[in-house]
Amino acid sequence: MVSLNTAVIIKLEPDFSEGNVSYNSDGTLNRAETKSILGPHSAVASKAAFYSKVKVGARISVGTMGPPIADYALQQAQLICDADELHLYSDRIFAGADTLATAEVLKTGINKMEGGKMDIVFSGHRASDGETGQTGPQTAWKLGYTFLGNVIDYDIDLEKRVVIAKRLITLQGFYDIIEEVEAPLPVFITIDPSYKPVFNTVSQRLAFVKYQKEANERAQNYKKYLKVFNAQQLGVDPKFVGLPGSPTIVYKVEKIPKAKASRKAEVVDASDREQIRKVVMRMNEILGGMVIK
Amino acid sequence: MTMITSEGSYRHLYVVVEHEEGKPIPVSLEMLGEARRLMDDFNKRYSSNEKVVAVLLGNNVRKLCEELLFYGADAVIYAESPELQYSRNLIDTKIISEIAINKECVAKISPDYAERFKKPRYMFFAADNIGRHLSSTVLVELESGLASDINKLVIEDLEIKHEHKTKGQAMTYAKTLEMYRPDFSGFLWTTILCLDNRNPAIEREYHPQACSIIPGVFQPLMRDSTRSGIIVEHVPKLEEQDLNVKILSRKIIKSAVDFDTSKAIISFGRGIKDLPEENIKLIEELAKELDAEIGISLPISKKPYIASETITSKYMVPDRVIGTSGRRVSPLLYIAIGISGAMQHIAGMKESEFVIAINPDENSPIKDECDLFIKGRMEDVIPILIEELRKQKLVMEVKK
Repeated sequence: MVSLNTAVIIKLEPDFSEGNVSYNSDGTLNRAETKSILGPHSAVASKAAFYSKVKVGARISVGTMGPPIADYALQQAQLICDADELHLYSDRIFAGADTLATAEVLKTGINKMEGGKMDIVFSGHRASDGETGQTGPQTAWKLGYTFLGNVIDYDIDLEKRVVIAKRLITLQGFYDIIEEVEAPLPVFITIDPSYKPVFNTVSQRLAFVKYQKEANERAQNYKKYLKVFNAQQLGVDPKFVGLPGSPTIVYKVEKIPKAKASRKAEVVDASDREQIRKVVMRMNEILGGMVIK
Repeated sequence: MTMITSEGSYRHLYVVVEHEEGKPIPVSLEMLGEARRLMDDFNKRYSSNEKVVAVLLGNNVRKLCEELLFYGADAVIYAESPELQYSRNLIDTKIISEIAINKECVAKISPDYAERFKKPRYMFFAADNIGRHLSSTVLVELESGLASDINKLVIEDLEIKHEHKTKGQAMTYAKTLEMYRPDFSGFLWTTILCLDNRNPAIEREYHPQACSIIPGVFQPLMRDSTRSGIIVEHVPKLEEQDLNVKILSRKIIKSAVDFDTSKAIISFGRGIKDLPEENIKLIEELAKELDAEIGISLPISKKPYIASETITSKYMVPDRVIGTSGRRVSPLLYIAIGISGAMQHIAGMKESEFVIAINPDENSPIKDECDLFIKGRMEDVIPILIEELRKQKLVMEVKK
């Protein structure tokens, strides 16, 4: 008896791990040479969804907007959260979308999951490449779901149909704050990178093992769970997606000009022991009083 | 050139202010400073009289309004209620969006512009945990575009030729806000524009042109208590369903990473890549000798290298990032190891008293940002430094 529907919104992103990421000589990302994977924040969001499966046996849907190869990210997410269905929203006309136009596609897609009866939607904190962190909250607002950001931990009370969540708030020049909130379903949660699910009871641990095994089996045959939607099948208005639906454009991309040298460096040759000795004396002086004559 | 009839519908620059403990947080004052500079120049160039309007929500915040005028706002629109004590996305989004389209508020600030007013021309939010999400939801509600993490702003008339926006025709977009954002590498600057669709097939107006602004980038104005302005109260409709998130508790926590009281900070970047585990352990050892805290550059927080779980979870974490996406530090001694010196990182450490860089590449930008540049590989340099530090410490103890 399924009593909770959970969705995860994920993204295929450049793999920033060593050996996979490639940088140009000027320090910028070499996209052609860099592989793509399920983004690390998407992976955390998938873990958060998996917790709802272990805890209350939620049904999980995973959705992404992207090129056909983004199904690889869906497969990786299924491996983490044992998804019951995978959605890929893929159409040439979606390309170049800004966050508002992306949110339009994701909203429409989420409304197609489980007959539109979604209780919790998770997304990552931000994408590793775009890094705007806007798509989650914008999708939430379009769905009309209560938005909870920076969630580091959460739990579900099925009887009261509420989520209890801990949020991390960091403010420039102030302390950090952990805020505990209660919100009625449906909610849209962006999950903080520090989230770690805890499985306390024996029954949770047993469920964990069971669903993990199932996730492995499912991910091997992920295409069985995959539904691909183009713009027409999704039923979005082409005016509100992709480039036509994007208020913003990228006007230009330039190298950040080198700032004027703010300090004049004295260059020290590391192989010269006497020079290094002087550097260390300098360090000691700076750090207070340890002057050696 | 197309004449845009809607031009008069969008006026003023609205700045959404955040506060804590009865004080505006620094980025709010920084935004007001930049807004003031931009609009002074704007009004001169376009012979207009558009305002910097601060938007303030909270409980008992009336007394904060003057303060915002002192820091550069021409006007403040505030809404107060015990329900607004702490920021909650849903109710805050509703009220800010209401304020943004409110003609009566504008009528009190600039009667001339009120009749045709639809929405603000520009809108600023803080790129922090609260503003980032608030800007996202408000701009969906206002159906316009948003750029995030901006560190440079220019207003200009631009000639645009765009496949979709102008159907390939060249058109002038007057008073366009150019929003510069550094990308994740810190080496590229992307300029984002929010433009109306003038292509008849997809015609649509997109205002305000909005962005979130990186804390610590812009200078606040000097506080000037002789500055005055207009203060307008907006009485919000508080509906039950908009108040459905209950705050159960709020706890203040301190970061385990102490950059504020450490005399020395050692930070490392992608230069550790040949031997991540070993190099980080070397850095740990050096930090121990100097009683230094350890920081990282932004790319490291994405855990790009394989290292043990202990090392990864301790050091490759966002909490240690120094730079515009992390913390700003100003220790007596800053040692940058294997850090190339992207602008984002420099912004976080440039206030340090004395800077030493360890890097094999003399052409890397960090050389222009340090006092001592030790040319060499960290694998070779750090052990010698540690050895020398221990030797000198020993001499000290003997002398005592």
